[in-house]
Amino acid sequence: MAEGGGGRGETSDKAREEFFSEAQELVDGLGRDLLGLDEGVKAGRVDPELINDVFRGVHTLKGLSGLFGATRMAVLSHELEDVLDDLRLGRIDVTPAVLDLLFQAVTLYAQLLAAQSGEAPEPEREVEDLLLAIGQLSQRRSGGGAGVVAHYELDPGLLGVLTEYEEHRLRANIQQGLALYRIRARFSLTTIDSSLDEIKRQARPLGEIVTYLPTGSGADADTIDLEILMASRASLQTLQQAIVGPDLVIEDVARRVDPSVRPARASAAARVASAETAVVPAEAGATSAAPPPDNGSVRSFVEPPAGPKKDSLAATPGPPAAAGSLRGPGLTRELSLRSASQTVRVDIRKLDRLMTIVGELAIVKTAIARLTDRVRRRAADPRELSIELARLNRTFERHLAQMQSGILEVRMVPLGQAFDKLARIVRQISREHDKEVHLVVTGADTELDKLIVEELSDPLMHMIRNAIDHGIEPRDERLRVGKPPVGTIALNAFQKGNHVVIEVEDDGRGMDHGALVAAAVRRGMVSTDEAKELTQGEMLALVFMPGFTTKEVATDLSGRGVGLDVAKTNIGKLGGVVDITSDVGIGTKMTITLPITLAIIHVLLVEIGAHLFAVPLASVEEAIVLHEDQVRTVEARELLTVRGTSLPICRLARLFGLPPADRDRHGPFVVIARVGARRLGFVVDELVGQQDIVIKPLGKSLKGVRGFAGATELGDQRIALVIDVAALIEEVLMPGEVRFLAAADDSGRTSVALDARRRIGRA
Amino acid sequence: MAALMRARSEKRAARRAGETGRRVEYLAFGLAGETYAVQIAHVAEILRFPPITTVPRAPETVLGVISVRGKLVTVVDLRRRFALPPAVVDRKSRILLCDVGTGEQIGLLVDDVQQVWRLASEEIEPAHVLGGEQASHVAGIGRPTASEGALLILLDLRPILESP
Repeated sequence: MAEGGGGRGETSDKAREEFFSEAQELVDGLGRDLLGLDEGVKAGRVDPELINDVFRGVHTLKGLSGLFGATRMAVLSHELEDVLDDLRLGRIDVTPAVLDLLFQAVTLYAQLLAAQSGEAPEPEREVEDLLLAIGQLSQRRSGGGAGVVAHYELDPGLLGVLTEYEEHRLRANIQQGLALYRIRARFSLTTIDSSLDEIKRQARPLGEIVTYLPTGSGADADTIDLEILMASRASLQTLQQAIVGPDLVIEDVARRVDPSVRPARASAAARVASAETAVVPAEAGATSAAPPPDNGSVRSFVEPPAGPKKDSLAATPGPPAAAGSLRGPGLTRELSLRSASQTVRVDIRKLDRLMTIVGELAIVKTAIARLTDRVRRRAADPRELSIELARLNRTFERHLAQMQSGILEVRMVPLGQAFDKLARIVRQISREHDKEVHLVVTGADTELDKLIVEELSDPLMHMIRNAIDHGIEPRDERLRVGKPPVGTIALNAFQKGNHVVIEVEDDGRGMDHGALVAAAVRRGMVSTDEAKELTQGEMLALVFMPGFTTKEVATDLSGRGVGLDVAKTNIGKLGGVVDITSDVGIGTKMTITLPITLAIIHVLLVEIGAHLFAVPLASVEEAIVLHEDQVRTVEARELLTVRGTSLPICRLARLFGLPPADRDRHGPFVVIARVGARRLGFVVDELVGQQDIVIKPLGKSLKGVRGFAGATELGDQRIALVIDVAALIEEVLMPGEVRFLAAADDSGRTSVALDARRRIGRA
Repeated sequence: MAALMRARSEKRAARRAGETGRRVEYLAFGLAGETYAVQIAHVAEILRFPPITTVPRAPETVLGVISVRGKLVTVVDLRRRFALPPAVVDRKSRILLCDVGTGEQIGLLVDDVQQVWRLASEEIEPAHVLGGEQASHVAGIGRPTASEGALLILLDLRPILESP
């Protein structure tokens, strides 16, 4: 809290930064674990380890926030800890409603962190509401089905020493219809740790080890006998094949004869298993390699339990949790998924590599110093000197390049960081909307600049929101048109050259071009005449216009006409483009194409007239000589045929209104640029060379000038403007869309801007 | 005699009061034969004309961008901004690096830089003495008493810097 950190020196600032980054990571981790839990709840099988993870995470947060005087956060953590302890011990059941509360807590944590860093006011009321709801929850504690344990032939002595947690796990497993097995194993005291770990590892995919206790009947002083109680859905044979070790015997725990208590969901395998008792001789088990697990009924339980790496998520329909007051945190303030922390965690090995390069550079420096000294003493032969200098320069360049790429690598983080948060949003929105949505994520390990990943979360959130609200149909409607009742949103990321492509695809009702145009006309965004001239692509692009909505009544979630336009603008700021395709009845796909990094870019310097421009090489495919006689004109657009495909070309001198230079040229050349699926050839007068540049923004006063991403100094006082390839391609190939966006940029001067853009578009 | 003495000392006191009182410093510069002036507090730096890079599609008044110690600065041609006849840049041409707290420094190209005037409020006539609709960038007319016949067009930089 502000009063805690105020007035202290740099160390305190640094510590606070650490606090933010650590807290942020914990909160992110909580989100992931909760998603895992959510999935478990739906599958009817909750992984107790996940609850433990959440518990530990909240506990650590409590400590952290206490340390940094974040009182509200500490209080919240404390209350949550109690709830989680109840969950852990089975005093309350893990239900979607409880999960709602926990998810809200994650959202609140993010807001509290943002408040801590002074970016936003503290969500005071929301925290109060949540605390109230938590309070109500703890009053609903249940016994959690005590008594079922009694139906098993378990040693009362054993039951007496179980901890509350173990007892709860035992009960929970029996209730879920798992069979109980007893593993008796003899361990050598010297290797007990590793042997026990090995057994745990083998047992983990098959079920849960509830407890292990020494039996007290060890054969001699060097060995110890343990009795391991395990719950599993697998058959005894499967267990016996999977869990092997010397002096290890698995048997099932007999059930007392009382058919009425048999859980309804007991699997066939478990039933078979309990009917027979087999003991595998220890030696045989040790020598035979464990065969792969059976298929069939056992298969699904062999899969690793829900863990942090989630690739799917589905939400059960149902009323949102508890009272209306709980809706507060998600809705009363504009939700942002951006992290409060600006920190990047770096693998120490990456830093080591950088350090090595610094060492190499130091060697170069020494060599230069030596050379300087020789020059001063006039001891060097000029020829030898120039050779030496050239060599040093090469070495220096190489190390600098390594350093550069090393530092860029440090900035890279997996997109999964943003995707995890989105999965949470999908769950929240789909529950609020009473729609069933399954999120399928691929390519979460695709790496992007940390800055871009952060800036991407919000645009992606808007797109997903839009997909759930407008795309995915309600269950009944889906069934009526023969679609699976659960909608799917696919989030795919992959690298494509120097770009990263992210697709947000839904299998919803798609966009009706006619309805889009009608809505735009109704809202006065386009005139009826203009509407008639729109191409299919331009119609879809209408959704990116500010204030556009097809909804007559705005909902809490979308339909207020903000969102997609902001998403597109923000992606544009990152140098990316959004493409949209949609088929009525089949679904909508938005494709985002982004550069991998923003920091230093590699450019091709070109001359147009007497002016120098830089084209980012990331979007350049190749440059070829332009033969004027090969240019064809189709529909007032100039085309070139390059390797059998048509390439529209754009004469930059004409587009920029620059006079031709008077001196001789080798050119003209065509620089073939590609962003996403769109290609365009830029006609330039001369190719000057390649260079690494740091891009600088043009001042605010030139904000309205489209087509330039910024400018860069070339080291000799000259400045080259950096061409915004994505913007120019869009402008040239889709002038309609540009016209709309420009018109909407400045609502006060709509018609003026519109005309201006038309002129530019046709220039 | 005493009256004369008193009158002289009063005059001196008045002058001193004028000097130390509420006077504002203005930097005068030439533009198409007229003398303009801007508050010196708004001028961060006076630069000789550096190599300049034109920005295609920028507003017509924008001459281009220059680099001032690694920072890009937009340069506005004041003659074009005031619809005055164009001039050739010569060795007297200067760029005034101006800052009125809009978050951006902007360079203004002027014909030459003349001198600094310290004007008291009674030496400044409001812009409406010119009558009719005045451009929003004219803040008033400066008539320094120290120099007979001098006339300064005082500029309000904010509208110029906000929409060059």
